[in-house]
Amino acid sequence: MSAVAAPRRAGEPRLRRLLRRHGYLLALGLTIVLLAVNLVLQPNFGWIAQLASFAPLAVAAAASMPSIVSGRGGIDMSIGPVMTLSGIVFAGYLAPNGLGGLEALPILMLLGGAIGAVNGLIVIWLRLSPIVVTLAMYFIVIGINLKLAPTPMRLADDNWATSLAGSIGGFPGPLISLAIPVALWALLGLTAFRRNLYAVGGNDATAFTAGIAVSAVRVVAFALGGAFAGIAGLVLVALVRTADSSTSSAYTLIAIAAVALGGTSLAGGAGGMTGALLGAASIFLVQSVLADAQVPQTWLPAIYGAMLIVAVVVGALLSGERTGRRA
Amino acid sequence: MPTVDGVLLRMESVGKAFGPTVAVRDASLEVHRGEVHALMGENGSGKSTIVKILSGVHAPDRGRILLAGRAVAAFRTPAAALRSGIATVFQEVLAAPNRTVFDNLWLGADGLFRIAQGPRERRRRAEAALAELLVSPPPLDALVGDLDLSDRQACAIARALLRDPDLLILDEATSALDFDTRNRLFEIVRRRVAAGSGVVLITHRMDEVREVADRVTVLRSGETVATLDGAEWTTAEVVRLMTGQAHQLGDEARTDRARRAPGDVVLQASGLRVRADAAPLDFELRAGEIVGLAGLEGQGQDAFLRALWGLGDAGGAVTRVSSRGRQPIASKHAARRARIAYVPRERRAESIFDWMSILENFTATTLRRDRRGWLLSGRSALRRLTDYVERLRIKLGRPEDGIGTLSGGNQQKVIIARSLAAEPEVLLLNDPTRGIDIGAKRDLYALLEGLAAEGLAVVMLSTELEEHLELMDRVLVFRDDELAAVFPHEGLTREALVASFFGAEELAS
Repeated sequence: MSAVAAPRRAGEPRLRRLLRRHGYLLALGLTIVLLAVNLVLQPNFGWIAQLASFAPLAVAAAASMPSIVSGRGGIDMSIGPVMTLSGIVFAGYLAPNGLGGLEALPILMLLGGAIGAVNGLIVIWLRLSPIVVTLAMYFIVIGINLKLAPTPMRLADDNWATSLAGSIGGFPGPLISLAIPVALWALLGLTAFRRNLYAVGGNDATAFTAGIAVSAVRVVAFALGGAFAGIAGLVLVALVRTADSSTSSAYTLIAIAAVALGGTSLAGGAGGMTGALLGAASIFLVQSVLADAQVPQTWLPAIYGAMLIVAVVVGALLSGERTGRRA
Repeated sequence: MPTVDGVLLRMESVGKAFGPTVAVRDASLEVHRGEVHALMGENGSGKSTIVKILSGVHAPDRGRILLAGRAVAAFRTPAAALRSGIATVFQEVLAAPNRTVFDNLWLGADGLFRIAQGPRERRRRAEAALAELLVSPPPLDALVGDLDLSDRQACAIARALLRDPDLLILDEATSALDFDTRNRLFEIVRRRVAAGSGVVLITHRMDEVREVADRVTVLRSGETVATLDGAEWTTAEVVRLMTGQAHQLGDEARTDRARRAPGDVVLQASGLRVRADAAPLDFELRAGEIVGLAGLEGQGQDAFLRALWGLGDAGGAVTRVSSRGRQPIASKHAARRARIAYVPRERRAESIFDWMSILENFTATTLRRDRRGWLLSGRSALRRLTDYVERLRIKLGRPEDGIGTLSGGNQQKVIIARSLAAEPEVLLLNDPTRGIDIGAKRDLYALLEGLAAEGLAVVMLSTELEEHLELMDRVLVFRDDELAAVFPHEGLTREALVASFFGAEELAS
């Protein structure tokens, strides 16, 4: 491609400029509208219960996000099974053995992070496509889940974690679940890591020649996603109180959809936590609205799909992105 | 080796090959503290590879590098080179487009997690660096993707300057800069050099070398030919050193074919721009003509060729003129309908289906001709291929063999046969002889000459000087995305051609 000067875009509409910078704005609009509709349809909207059922999807979306931002098609297919593994380990192994307290959180994050790191290391060492590596990991972890929990494992009713789906002294527990990944992400924003991550995702050749340790950044991105998946598993088991290996695959794809819906480019280098959470909120609220409107559940997946395409296309149109013409 | 005072960088007998291709054979370079050292050479002389070795992108196969008298095994990563005090601005303008100017300027300055200095300090230094370089610097929180090319390149330069390197390497870093910015950059370069650091400059502009370089090292075919002092070199001498003796295809091999009077105009470009803000150019191609496109890499000849194929997007019109009337060429589909064929540059990536057979590769674009009702006739395809195998002297085992079993030259012949099978009247070739052996090149020249004699009009981009001298009826030289010179075949010399690459036209006449 020859060097064609990009026109200065000083005169472009404000909305367009905003959207290009903040890809999540569309999901934000969608979330606000859907929330309003929800409140109208369902006057006694149970905030805590709704937030509790929203939290697992939200944290799963947060888990999918870092590797996607790191670019090169960094989709992590293993997020769903890792969540389930985390739930199984918590309910079936840690809690019965006296490790069911707060100390479980770092343990589960380490577990997920280790699996994510293995994904990342294989991706950079063997130079395989992330989707292949994480798909392999997806099946491996499902296998482990089936071995560890042939039948669903129940979480004891008096476990502290159940309050993550309820209230803690009047404070909504699910907000704490959401706060953990958000806080970690914010903390990373204080270090150089997040800047490095976006640079690598945006243009890895530039990042490499500028002296960024591109491979290390990618591995950390996968590990971070894995650690978030560890939290997501805990949050899910707190809600449903069982860890069931047969639901291993439930969250992988919907979490990726949430990330895309939140304006994160699957090409990498753009998007982030806000987008992931708002994308997840849009999906969650659509489902809730449709349930209130008594649309059969069977239609849900098709509607998610349509929504995703519409949102991505509308986002691209509004932000004035065009795909370059290629020979 | 004793440490010689004042020597910042010494590179001794460095070699580097990529597979069978030798990029740098035996290159040495010595850069002193307090000097701007220009590295000159024509396409394929190894300049960019040397830059990539010095900046840690490639590891050399052999030779050694001493930095301030200390042996550096080789930089294993760009990060290592940067830590040793070598910062490079690369030829391709490298930026993370959806990050801000500020982020781009400090790209790579941190560890994985550790931040080297505070944001306030950084903003101040970033602003200062940009203000030094640009008359109207962009705001630090603008996205780099929104800047024009000159400002984007300025950001890449500012990033290198902010590292305050001992050795600054500018690899065609000035090509996209506007005039003011370039002057300001040279001002900065002079100041840095006066303060005792070193600068390696690669540029396609002889006037820039004249303006700032203290010494010049000339490379040819991956070898250092000479290092000249600023006081003593002349443009003519540098051009002579860059071109050297006619190698590869000696003069004795030169078969000066009978030049015919060209036929009617078949393709016209008017007001065509290669880049939106470059000067427009007009071009006419006649039947039976072979026109060469020359210049250093990336000077717009590639974009010009693609524009003739209907992929221009920077203004101007391309029109096909034929007995069928005038047809505008605004897409590759229009080009195909108007019997314009294009052979891309990257054989592996853009033209062959490397898992398919020779026959399948050949018929891929002209399957229609083998149709018998709803079916394809294998016999018809085979017959067509056999025809071209003879004409192009393609050496193959069986047509069903994978195309990967052929040598590069024969693969290229199959690709050209595929283009010819569509019976084009205009053939656009993008460096078709790159990386193929001399015998295959000769066959190709003979073929093109034969086709031209039959009335085919050919435009061929080539990075080989010899081809321009020998084959072309006319040579168009590109520089800075503009048409810099047009040479007729008669009296064209290597020196004139190379001089025009570097903007030293005074030697070209």
